Amino acid sequence: MSDFSEELIESKTEDDQEESYVFSGTGMSFPWLQNHIGTIATGGKKEKDFAQTTSACLSFIQEALLKHQWQQAAEYMHSYLQILEDSDSHKRQAAPEIIWKLGSEILFYHPKSNMETFNTFADRMKNIGVMNYLKISLQHALYLVHHGMLEDANRNLSHAETWRYGEKSSSQEVLINLIQAYKGLLQYYTWSKKKLELSTLDEDDYAYNAASQSMLNHSCKTSVNLGALIQTPGVWDPFVKSYVEMLEFYGDRDGAREVLTNYAYDEKFPSNPNAHVYLYNFLKREKAPREKLISVLKILYQIVPSHKLMLEFHSLLRKSEKEDHRKLGLEVLFGVLDFAGCTKNITAWKYLAKYLRQILMGNHLAWVQEEWNSRKNWWPDFHFSSFWAKNDWKEDKTLACEKALVAGILLGKGCRYFRFISKQDDEVLRKKIKRIKKSVENHSIVNPGL
Amino acid sequence: MDFPSSLRPTLFMAGPLGLSNVPDLSFMCSWRDALMLPESLPENSENGGPHMATQLLWEPETPGPLPLLPPGPDPWDPGVTAQDLLFRGGFTFRRKPRAVLDVTEQLSRFLWDHGDIAFAPLGKLMLENFKLEGARSRSKKKTVVSVKSLLQDLGGHQPWGCPWAFLSYRQRRFSILGGPVLGKSVASLLGELLHEELAVRWEQLLLDDAFTGGALAWVPGRTPQVGQLVYPAGGALDKLCFQEVSLTSSGAAQALRDPGHIQLRGPVRQVVTRTVQGETLLAVRSDYHCALWKVSKQGQPAPLPVLQVRKGATGISLSPHLPGELAVCSRSGAVCLWTPQDGLQQVYKDPETLVFCDHSSWRWADFTAHPRVLTVGDRTGVKIVDTQGPPGCGLLLFRGGAEASCQKGERVLLTQYLGACSPEPLHPTLHLICTQFSLYLVDERLPLVPMLKWNHELPSAPLWAQLLPPPRPGCPRPLLLGAQRGHLRLLHLTGEGASAPRLAGHPQSLPSSSDSLSAFPLLEPKSQWRLQERLKAPTIGLAATIPFPASEPVLSLFQLSAAGDIFHQRLRLQADPGATLHAPTASWTPQATAFCSRWLKALLKVPPPPPVWAAPTFSHRRLLGCMEQRTGEHKGPEGLRAAMAGGRLLQQRDLGPLPSAEPPPAPEPGPEDELSARLEAAWEGQMAAWWERQQGRSSGPSRPSKRHKRRTQLSSTFSSLSGRLDLSDAISPPHSPDRASPEAKSQPPVTPPSHESTQELWAQGVPSERQQTLRDYMAKLPLGGDSPRGVCSSLSQSPSLQATSSRSQTLQERTAELPPRRTTLRGAAVSSSQTSSLRATPSRQRASVPSGSQPQRKKPRMGF
Repeated sequence: MSDFSEELIESKTEDDQEESYVFSGTGMSFPWLQNHIGTIATGGKKEKDFAQTTSACLSFIQEALLKHQWQQAAEYMHSYLQILEDSDSHKRQAAPEIIWKLGSEILFYHPKSNMETFNTFADRMKNIGVMNYLKISLQHALYLVHHGMLEDANRNLSHAETWRYGEKSSSQEVLINLIQAYKGLLQYYTWSKKKLELSTLDEDDYAYNAASQSMLNHSCKTSVNLGALIQTPGVWDPFVKSYVEMLEFYGDRDGAREVLTNYAYDEKFPSNPNAHVYLYNFLKREKAPREKLISVLKILYQIVPSHKLMLEFHSLLRKSEKEDHRKLGLEVLFGVLDFAGCTKNITAWKYLAKYLRQILMGNHLAWVQEEWNSRKNWWPDFHFSSFWAKNDWKEDKTLACEKALVAGILLGKGCRYFRFISKQDDEVLRKKIKRIKKSVENHSIVNPGL
Repeated sequence: MDFPSSLRPTLFMAGPLGLSNVPDLSFMCSWRDALMLPESLPENSENGGPHMATQLLWEPETPGPLPLLPPGPDPWDPGVTAQDLLFRGGFTFRRKPRAVLDVTEQLSRFLWDHGDIAFAPLGKLMLENFKLEGARSRSKKKTVVSVKSLLQDLGGHQPWGCPWAFLSYRQRRFSILGGPVLGKSVASLLGELLHEELAVRWEQLLLDDAFTGGALAWVPGRTPQVGQLVYPAGGALDKLCFQEVSLTSSGAAQALRDPGHIQLRGPVRQVVTRTVQGETLLAVRSDYHCALWKVSKQGQPAPLPVLQVRKGATGISLSPHLPGELAVCSRSGAVCLWTPQDGLQQVYKDPETLVFCDHSSWRWADFTAHPRVLTVGDRTGVKIVDTQGPPGCGLLLFRGGAEASCQKGERVLLTQYLGACSPEPLHPTLHLICTQFSLYLVDERLPLVPMLKWNHELPSAPLWAQLLPPPRPGCPRPLLLGAQRGHLRLLHLTGEGASAPRLAGHPQSLPSSSDSLSAFPLLEPKSQWRLQERLKAPTIGLAATIPFPASEPVLSLFQLSAAGDIFHQRLRLQADPGATLHAPTASWTPQATAFCSRWLKALLKVPPPPPVWAAPTFSHRRLLGCMEQRTGEHKGPEGLRAAMAGGRLLQQRDLGPLPSAEPPPAPEPGPEDELSARLEAAWEGQMAAWWERQQGRSSGPSRPSKRHKRRTQLSSTFSSLSGRLDLSDAISPPHSPDRASPEAKSQPPVTPPSHESTQELWAQGVPSERQQTLRDYMAKLPLGGDSPRGVCSSLSQSPSLQATSSRSQTLQERTAELPPRRTTLRGAAVSSSQTSSLRATPSRQRASVPSGSQPQRKKPRMGF
């Protein structure tokens, strides 16, 4: 019981303990300040032997872990446990967390450790002190999930869920929400398993009713469990995904839409591209009007112009009747190809080559020039250098042809890339290159008058 | 580009650093990162083995890295340590360690070392308050102090760290008299400035960000096995060297040929290299200049423009996308982009820090997946800035705050774009951000929320990182993290395409150069210590390469130390580390140890750095004086002193040739004879008679007058003082008994420029009677530090000469000695004894020893 009162005091003094290595002048803290001071401490009161040995032991454990000497680390850990009897209450308080962190790490990697050992260790650690119960329970459950012990994990989380200590602090609340959400996720796994079974059963079968009934039970519990957490700002992709899937399955489209909209547009949440992707996919499944889809993707375009959905966005825009949509379609393609990871995206080049011709034929030279102006001083080196011409031709001739066409249109016949590709003599692509040459003659923006 | 289809659950909380009511979800251990949530159950139900294929271990081939090149010819000084800067007295253990800058020690060091500057003008003013020798009855005033007795009192005084130092009433009076005048002016003028300077030095000791990014680069050659190391060399790090290195599959790296070099006009702080579209570029950052070279296929650098950064450059990066593009950031808060087409353009400027107010002017800039978008970082956060957009706007990529669960006092030390690594980047949008506590991976498509956080627990500042290509196709990518004191961490990153980046396996620590000590032969303590210092020198650069990407996974790692050494080590990827309990331990090969002893031999040939001038101390004056008077044989202590000064072991040759070979210097028998005679006498009970005899003999052939005797004693004190001067070079200075650089004092002290004022002080009509005392006094003060022996000899040579003439003579000698300001004391002594011998009797000529050999100490009374 003494632990309890100590930990209450602890919560107040935690702050000044944290400051332990702040150097007054700069506000920056240096974990290595103690070492420097240690070298000059000659006289005065020294640390107690006990404190010296435990801190030495701690560094041995850390060193052994970093050298992957699990056996050695385990041996040191055995000795380190004495810190739980330290007379310094600060250290005694901090000890369980350190022991859990290092101990679980050793047991996770040690080739001779097994699930029982880990479980025993986790159960013991949960009950040393009261501050770590929730954290350790959660991690223990994750360990069990990782090892496929879903039922055990579920039981663990259920225990933790009902656990309360003292006043309900905000951090405790978040942890409990998180525990419930993971529990919900486990229930979702069971549910989706049942769903899979159900799909194999005949609807008239007797078993079908029982199975669908139990599925329904699960979904109810799950929605309660998942609902609370996804209101809290954060990244909750797996929870949102499974929650929406269940809602959709039971026809609660409005509920699902609300969850997704909230997840994507709530300003307190980080701008998570996946939130928009999920919303877009949901709307697509729902067969929402094109306007709606475009408005969702427009926001995604602003966050991640390099997303692979941008090509889909371009297709939507291209088909749109609105002029500014079609203009945006060009912008989106240029935007995708700005990024280093997309330079070899053949679809994007194909789209751009095709769309450029289409737009130029539609007399929208100004659109192209607008996009090109901000890129003309770096795209030639970035995409159309002779290095890339050789490299692309060697690696992917189709890509080289698409790029050559775009290069020819944007830079004229004289550009290095186009000249290199057009000079190549390839049996298969001869016709294509000829067509490219003709397109460039007709559409190049360099000499539009000619 | 693929974005991870499902991100790991993370709480997002806005707020300042160290917000305590947020549960830090990264409280979880590193294994948490290995955990995976099954996407959907059916596929993953059988995924269960506790040891996945992600267990990776790089096994070092030797217990530590080995030097690649012989040590450079320039000596290296480790610089100030915490011991030099912090207050050491009465330190009590406390939970919160506190660093207190010791201004008083530095101030008193200044007073000792440069007493002439500090005190001479005041001393001149106070001349009337001193009673010099022979003027006993002149004044009875309390404001007049007798110099002689003051000196006697001072003789036993240990100026530092002696709690039982006895204060005589004379000293007290002197200090009362002189204290306010002497102390205040210097302290008030210097104190504040000194404190400021010490604070800067201390901060630098805790974190020296000048070399952020690293000053060592590997420029790949035509094959992966051959390349060039580019690094600064020379004592000032202003020589940019290009060393061709070949990596063989059998063992060590070989340096081919002598390195080519380019002499620069400032110290090199950072060397960056990038190969873009087959074109290799090399950028170098100095304090106020940045330069760019294009390296040809043959490895020849061709200069491109040099940029001047007036406020001081803090970071330089080369574009991974476009050849020749360069981002430079300066202490003024400006970030400039240099492109071959448009030249230099400022893309961002903000003298303030990004997130909250921080005094550091360190800035950093790097590229992103978009060639026209840069990251701009400072200690508080990292921002993404579009160089084509309106100025000043941008999006925070990383915020030092609750979003990343930062601790109180946490600051960004390094940011790096990881997408540039060829062949296929992990995620071309990932950025590495290192603080003193943790490592973060942030995706620029999801700002503020770190994709990965790992507590690196490095005991010094992580300032270098390098992401390497996978050692085997399909393997996770090694990420190397290097810290200032040589600590290394190797992490493995996996997660491509639709999966989020995560750590594969437990991170690993690699041996640092101080682990190589065991490869060197055991030495005598002083050289051992020097070697240890050399191996412990802070790291200033890191480069790694995987030379055989196709066949065997071997990692070649180079580390550049501040002493100019490059250490190399090879690591081999272990086949199945999961099966072993004990990680295997490497051992030294005979070739390695042989190489190390050769290297060591070369290192010990490098002269130790010239020491800072050490002040004379008074502590051993009496002791040595007695010793010398009694023994009469001077070779021993002198040899000892010389050996100590030179930092060598005392050997027979230091003690001079064997007694028989030496011409008898004096009629006295040797010390053994003396001892045996004394013992004999004692046995026979005739000790008193022997003593009488001995007294008679040692007081010289002719009994001098009383005053003569006094003078003799003084001058012998003097010679012992000069001896002590030598000795003080070898022992540590008085005020820091545990100061950590014995070799820093091993050379004779450098003569400071002599000061006319001090000469004039005793030249101004001081009665010749008092001059001797005054000279003695001055010789003991630091201001007399230049060639006290010379003064002594010249004076003792010419007792009959006019004081004025000898004075002018000495003055001339001194001015003649001035131009080479760093003449050693020994040299000065020799030259003056030579000049004096011209004036003196021919018998003195024996004392003029050719310089270079140890000058023979003359007997104090021989001049009389």
